[in-house]
Amino acid sequence: MEQKTSSGVKAFFGGIGGFFKEFGEAVVKGDIWVKLSLIWMGAGCIGRKQIIKGILMTLLEAAVIVFTFGFAMDYVPKFASLGTVQQESVFNIVTMQNEFNDYDHSFMILLLSLASFVVWAIFLFVYLRNVVNAYRLEKLAKAGKHVNTFAEDLNSLVNKKFYITLLTLPIIGIVLFNVVPLLVLILVAFTNYDQNHMPPSALFDWVGFRNFISLFGGGGLTVSFGYAFRKILVWTLIWAFFATFTTYFGGILLSMLINHKNTKFPKMWRTLFIITIAVPQFVSLLLVRNFFANNGIFNTFCAQIGLTELLRNLGVISTSYIPFLSANGWAHVMIILINIWVGVPYQMLIATGVLMNIPTDQLESAKIDGATPRQIFFHITMPYMLFVTGPALVTDFVKNINNFNVIYLLTQDVFVTTDQAMANSQAKEVDLLVTWLFNLTQNYYNYKMASAIGVIVFILCAVFTLIAFNKMIQGDREEVFR
Amino acid sequence: MKLKRTLNIIFRHVLLTILAFIWLVPIVWLLVTSFSAYPGPNNSTFFPKEWSVQAYSKLLFGADSVSQFPNWFKNTFIIAIFSCAVSTIFVLMVAYATSCMRFKARKPLMNIAVILNLFPGMLSMVAVYFILKTLNLTNNHIGMVIVYSAGSGLGYLIAKGFLDTIPASLRQAAYLDGASEFTIFWRVVLPMSRPIIVYTVISSFLAPWMDFVFAKMMLNAGVSSQWTVAIGLYNMLEKSLINSYFTQFCAGGVLVSIPISALFVIMQKFYVEGVTSGAVKG
Repeated sequence: MEQKTSSGVKAFFGGIGGFFKEFGEAVVKGDIWVKLSLIWMGAGCIGRKQIIKGILMTLLEAAVIVFTFGFAMDYVPKFASLGTVQQESVFNIVTMQNEFNDYDHSFMILLLSLASFVVWAIFLFVYLRNVVNAYRLEKLAKAGKHVNTFAEDLNSLVNKKFYITLLTLPIIGIVLFNVVPLLVLILVAFTNYDQNHMPPSALFDWVGFRNFISLFGGGGLTVSFGYAFRKILVWTLIWAFFATFTTYFGGILLSMLINHKNTKFPKMWRTLFIITIAVPQFVSLLLVRNFFANNGIFNTFCAQIGLTELLRNLGVISTSYIPFLSANGWAHVMIILINIWVGVPYQMLIATGVLMNIPTDQLESAKIDGATPRQIFFHITMPYMLFVTGPALVTDFVKNINNFNVIYLLTQDVFVTTDQAMANSQAKEVDLLVTWLFNLTQNYYNYKMASAIGVIVFILCAVFTLIAFNKMIQGDREEVFR
Repeated sequence: MKLKRTLNIIFRHVLLTILAFIWLVPIVWLLVTSFSAYPGPNNSTFFPKEWSVQAYSKLLFGADSVSQFPNWFKNTFIIAIFSCAVSTIFVLMVAYATSCMRFKARKPLMNIAVILNLFPGMLSMVAVYFILKTLNLTNNHIGMVIVYSAGSGLGYLIAKGFLDTIPASLRQAAYLDGASEFTIFWRVVLPMSRPIIVYTVISSFLAPWMDFVFAKMMLNAGVSSQWTVAIGLYNMLEKSLINSYFTQFCAGGVLVSIPISALFVIMQKFYVEGVTSGAVKG
């Protein structure tokens, strides 16, 4: 794996290097059309009688120039300062009305500058390609070979270069709605964009690593953020660990229980469990939340059988109900238990699929050798399961770090923190980093801290994934189960 | 030996019955509560004291400022149809390009996709919101479709895994017959990918029905007739509303769960068909 990635990286940079080498060669050795295409995109094409393509390229260049001077230049120069002119209301004598001055909108500057950078980066690539292509065309023409006509170029888009046609739209979608937001998030983490600095009425500014420092406990005023961050981080990891492993092993055990030869009607049992996951989570979780509410039906039931009384006598609870989802500790355990309820059927389905594909020859030869069912389970079934579903286990762990639904739907409006320091940083003991982030943005407009948390979560997920994948793929076992 | 086996069978079935009971109690509670005559949450008995279909009739025919179920259902349905169409096309296009074609940028692009997939969509949600707001697309169904489908190309891996199992010799035979890459995609590969197409279609159709976070963030300007089912039903459980709408919430839950479960079961079937053939042969 190590070797593979490094050779992949090498190939990647080698490819880039080769590209620039060809570009350099084109600039130095190219004829007049190639040199012309350095400033006039499409010149190379027109010089070789690819008129339509040349015109299209020229139009593209013109469009980017118009974009740059008509649009991008309004924002990009202010990127370093994120704007200096505060919004003010000025009385206009001509219209006899209060009007806003020509103010700077910090967020727009950030976002649109970023968008301009992306456009320019793409354009730069196309521009370099244009020069290289012009040079290639020149070589083709000089060698007396055939130069593609426009129709042939179009035709290649459904043939050899069909992948360009296929990938363009999806990649544009991903760049606009995955990459750009991601970059915005990272940039905002280095600003002071919060309730006191809300565009358009106020400006915000770059603050360097200050948000991260206060997240890690530095910086006098926001010391509670460091405290809340530590607590929530620990709970997030505990939660992700338990949520992943309880449902994973629960699912395997359940599927073995159902798929055993001694079990009658396996299909019926499977369907019974699947019903729970087929109900959308926002229905089932909100329902369960009311089921376990302080004055909910399960508490009534516990009171009737005397459990509440018993626990109160033991001094476990001090209230007249069992605070399943509303008290520290109780809520943590209940969330993990309820997550077992939500997650096990799903894992059961996956495990069923994998177990059905265990190579039967291995099982049979083990039986012939006199292996007990326990030995078969630990030495054949589990290693096989881990091999096939291991990567999924890692992604599950990462997904659980970001498991918004379970936590939010179960505890929002139900769990109220009693810890003043937590409350000061708008956090609750049961929050995961992502639900905290969500609340910070939705209810407190604290975008700077939310973004900093987002960056940390990303680093966390990335580190876990990389470590786990490396560990798992080490020791080449890819062929063992074939 | 025989006795031991009988005991084993009995033990298994007892255990399964208990487990199934635990798993089904909340679902049964949802069902019976939706037929309660009392509008608030029933906290004293499991079964309602008085039965009625009032909640359903109110939900379907008596829309008020809080409960707009028919509207929500329509909104979610429209959003789901469009985002399903876009996502399916994107996923299949990316899967074909990465699985069946070889080009220089293929490996680097796939590595970038892995890294991007590490970054949970949840996190960039805030920024997506701002971008859509700049484009004036928040509180708007087009914005929702974009949110659900724009980045869908990243979810190509399952479909790619399936396409990898289609023998390359089939495509090569088509090349020899002079078919263009597009023809092969359209006439050879797609017709063979039925399980994975059905899986992609259903899973992307279900996303808007199941999603809560993005809908809550994007459709936040409280015009309840614009909402999707998820936030509409969530809103019914607000502290001030729960006592008059809990039964309607349950009824709504039952009504959306029925089609969703049906689709879900079909999807699972195709998922197993598609993925197991993909994983094992590959």
